Amino acid sequence: MRALLRSRYRVPISLRRYSNQLTKDNHNAFISKRKEETNSSGSLAGLKAAVKDNFVTTKEPTTSGSEMLRTYVSPFDATTVSLIEASGAKVVGKTNMDEFGMGSSNTNSAFGSVVNPMFPENHISGGSSGGSAAAVALREADFALGTDTGGSVRLPASYCGVYGFKPTYGRISRWGVIAYAQSLDTVGIFARDLDTVRSVFDVLDVADSKDPTCFDASIRHQISHQKNLQSSKVIGVPEEFVVAEMTEEAKDAWNLALCALVDEGYEIRYISIPTIKKLLLAYYTIATAEAASNLSRYEGIRYGYSISSEETASMTPFDIVSKNRSTAFGSEVQRRIILGNYTLSSDSGNHYLRATHVRKNLVAEFNKVFSMPNVLFDNEVYNRDGCCALLCPTAVSPAPSLAEYTQETNENFLNAYINDILTVPASLAGLPSISIPYYSRQGIQIMGQFGDDETVLKVAKTLSLNCTYN
Amino acid sequence: MNIVRRLHRSARLGSDLVSGFKLKCGLELHTQLKTDFKLFSLSKTSFNEPPNSSISYFDVGLPGTMPKLNPEALRLALRLAVSLDSDINLNSSFDRKHYFYPDQPLGYQITQHYSPIATGGFLKLDSRYDGIESTKKDIRIEQIQLEQDTGKTNYVKFDGEVRIDYNRANIPLIELVTKPDFETIGEVVAFIKKYQTLVKYLDVCTGDLETGAIRVDVNVSVNGGNRVEIKNLGSTSEVAEALGYEYRRQIECLKENVSILQETRSWDGKSTTALRSKEDALDYRYVPDSELPVIRLHSDIKKQVQESLPQLPDAVVEKLIASPFNIELKHAQFLVNNKHVLSYYYNLIESIKDIDVKRANNWLFHEVFGAFSKNNLAFDPDKISPSSLARLLHLIFIEKSITSASAKILLGHLVTAPNSMEIEQAMEQYDLGKPTGVSESDIDEIVDEICTEIIAANPDVIKRIKDGKHKSINYLIGQAMKETEGKVSSDIFAARFKALIGT
Repeated sequence: MRALLRSRYRVPISLRRYSNQLTKDNHNAFISKRKEETNSSGSLAGLKAAVKDNFVTTKEPTTSGSEMLRTYVSPFDATTVSLIEASGAKVVGKTNMDEFGMGSSNTNSAFGSVVNPMFPENHISGGSSGGSAAAVALREADFALGTDTGGSVRLPASYCGVYGFKPTYGRISRWGVIAYAQSLDTVGIFARDLDTVRSVFDVLDVADSKDPTCFDASIRHQISHQKNLQSSKVIGVPEEFVVAEMTEEAKDAWNLALCALVDEGYEIRYISIPTIKKLLLAYYTIATAEAASNLSRYEGIRYGYSISSEETASMTPFDIVSKNRSTAFGSEVQRRIILGNYTLSSDSGNHYLRATHVRKNLVAEFNKVFSMPNVLFDNEVYNRDGCCALLCPTAVSPAPSLAEYTQETNENFLNAYINDILTVPASLAGLPSISIPYYSRQGIQIMGQFGDDETVLKVAKTLSLNCTYN
Repeated sequence: MNIVRRLHRSARLGSDLVSGFKLKCGLELHTQLKTDFKLFSLSKTSFNEPPNSSISYFDVGLPGTMPKLNPEALRLALRLAVSLDSDINLNSSFDRKHYFYPDQPLGYQITQHYSPIATGGFLKLDSRYDGIESTKKDIRIEQIQLEQDTGKTNYVKFDGEVRIDYNRANIPLIELVTKPDFETIGEVVAFIKKYQTLVKYLDVCTGDLETGAIRVDVNVSVNGGNRVEIKNLGSTSEVAEALGYEYRRQIECLKENVSILQETRSWDGKSTTALRSKEDALDYRYVPDSELPVIRLHSDIKKQVQESLPQLPDAVVEKLIASPFNIELKHAQFLVNNKHVLSYYYNLIESIKDIDVKRANNWLFHEVFGAFSKNNLAFDPDKISPSSLARLLHLIFIEKSITSASAKILLGHLVTAPNSMEIEQAMEQYDLGKPTGVSESDIDEIVDEICTEIIAANPDVIKRIKDGKHKSINYLIGQAMKETEGKVSSDIFAARFKALIGT
């Protein structure tokens, strides 16, 4: 049946043979590697880049960590990949990831788990951009591109001891980034030093008319105009982030970072963002609903995994679609698609709408806390005496060992979601946020107002000079 | 053809209704917009192209692609909405409607479910123009929404192949939903025809039902019972037949106490058959499309669009059937349905100066159109421009240098000529002008000669005339006109024949 569907009217997507072989290094950070050497010039010349395998590229398959797309080669490059290549960076390979970005441990990949380079024995790298974080930690790349939906750049950065920056939602084009939850997905940058993060961000922070959610020139102008309003030197510490699961190591790093900022003339203030407590439910409602929708296109008819033509011969189109999807998607992806479809079904009531309300409340609470107005809100009252940034650990602990993680997840798969409490608020509000390797195995996260990436990078710079790790 | 005509007539009279069984009906019309590019991508909206030749990465749902709204589609939707006096939604947005089908590349259709571009409004039906039973009837509009078309699935019977063509995927559509205001089949047919005229006239859609540019779903219930939807009807006659069948089917059910299920049915040309019941209805899992920004419009938008609209078809018809044009209704409606001929007509009337408009109407609608249709040709203004036709009328009625009969022959030549010609040039080429430089007595002599010859050659006709069948003289006149190619007026021949035969 499938062979028939594809026979003559097939969409002209060339699944051309690629010369680059799928590789397995010790840490399994890459899904594919490039071989060719090129000389280049530009602001990123001489830098080696690793790209998460959910950025589409023309030179090798783009798998999104899934059996579904194991052989899929895109006919076009993601805007971000074109931008870094045009600036002289050399892409060394495509990195391993949790399937379609779903996971925080990088154990949900059709290409195997990523092993954390920071530990002598097998620890998880964090996910979903675990391959990108590990590639940078292993010095296989000078920087890496990842995507962050609920912490997928910041968490692996924290676990692998590198910088992981998730800019404001809308700063960087998502054209060519395979969508997981499109209202949250944000392109992020990994590097071993802040200056590299900055140079790569400068290259990527541009308008792209192909992405309707990417800031246009007028919003960019408005943001750069507002920059001058930022005069606060107050760092907020949201009490909701003090969670029972947090380890002594994480608390230590947090305290030490705050002390370092006080030494640099910052004031520390305890604040409250009550909605944070309700966020995990809202986050998973929105993320799974959008995922269920976005992943509907993968049915193996136009491209991607399909069962053999002998099997399809007697099947209806619906049976083929259903068989392809249940065979090629991993269990976590299937779980989230089912959750998402339940949320969207008419039986469930209006969960998506309610989650959207929670999200709006969160943004309103953030707007009251920050000293800068939110560029998306006209005439919004803002708190001149508010905080310039918020600070907390990126993760409740350093990376657990694979054995610990597997055991806990088997006991209750919801365990895997607990870490998200620290990273999800910035995702739902679209805030810029960076994880810096304050301890070698424990990152500290700095968040700023929507659009105020400058302050986040500035505070990060101050703190990085005090990093115990570097 | 006769059957269709009879069906329409009966529909108009409402004789399709059975007393005691009240018909209630609503429509959903899907209209393909006449834009250059697709709704959310930059591929061309070309039709009749080889399969899968007009598709972009987004149209076929490649990973990493995103939609971008084509403002031209928005403009056309607004033109239609304003012409129906709908309320424009100043903050409308797009939603995803999910279902799996091989010709639905994204696994969902982008449509406007929660906040459509326009709501309310109406289309007026009028017994004078639309052949409905009641004098006036407003069909109220529920809502108008923008959405994507799907690809096409072709099931090839002889080799069992299923072929999918994505050229149609992502072509912009308007879905217009009416209130259940229809009470006769005639009203439904009249509405569809009028809607077709409107979208064509506004350049919103080609208006062709045959090519699927307009597709109709009908919701029908009898005596307030359960509603049955008939999907995907492609012509007004199909709508009338399917609706008539379904109405009678439901009446039979009611008479025999069989319950009518709320369901979706399809029309196979003879009867409606159940597709799926309410219980099996798909759950479309609607969700706002967070990738597409809200369409924010200025509060002044309705006025702005209004100002850009031409005079609407009803008003134009009303103008044309009144003085000074005084066109017959059917001709006025033809002009509104064929805008290029309408502008031709206006140009003609402007050029005729002191010639009676009635004569111009008569010549355009009967002689000129007749000349084209006799030759199986579509009307082509390049063959005879409005000013040429005006010139011809001037020669016939003012200068009297060509007879009506010769002018008709001339039209026949002009219509079939490979190139366009000036009137005088054509008259000369085909030798159709009244004889010039010939004296009255010379013409008298020739007329006399021709008439005598014809009389001699047709003794039986002469006998009949003498026996009292005076009308047979027309045959002789016809022979004479043929002989002279109409260069001499028929009156002259008539008088001469009468004199010669002695009646």
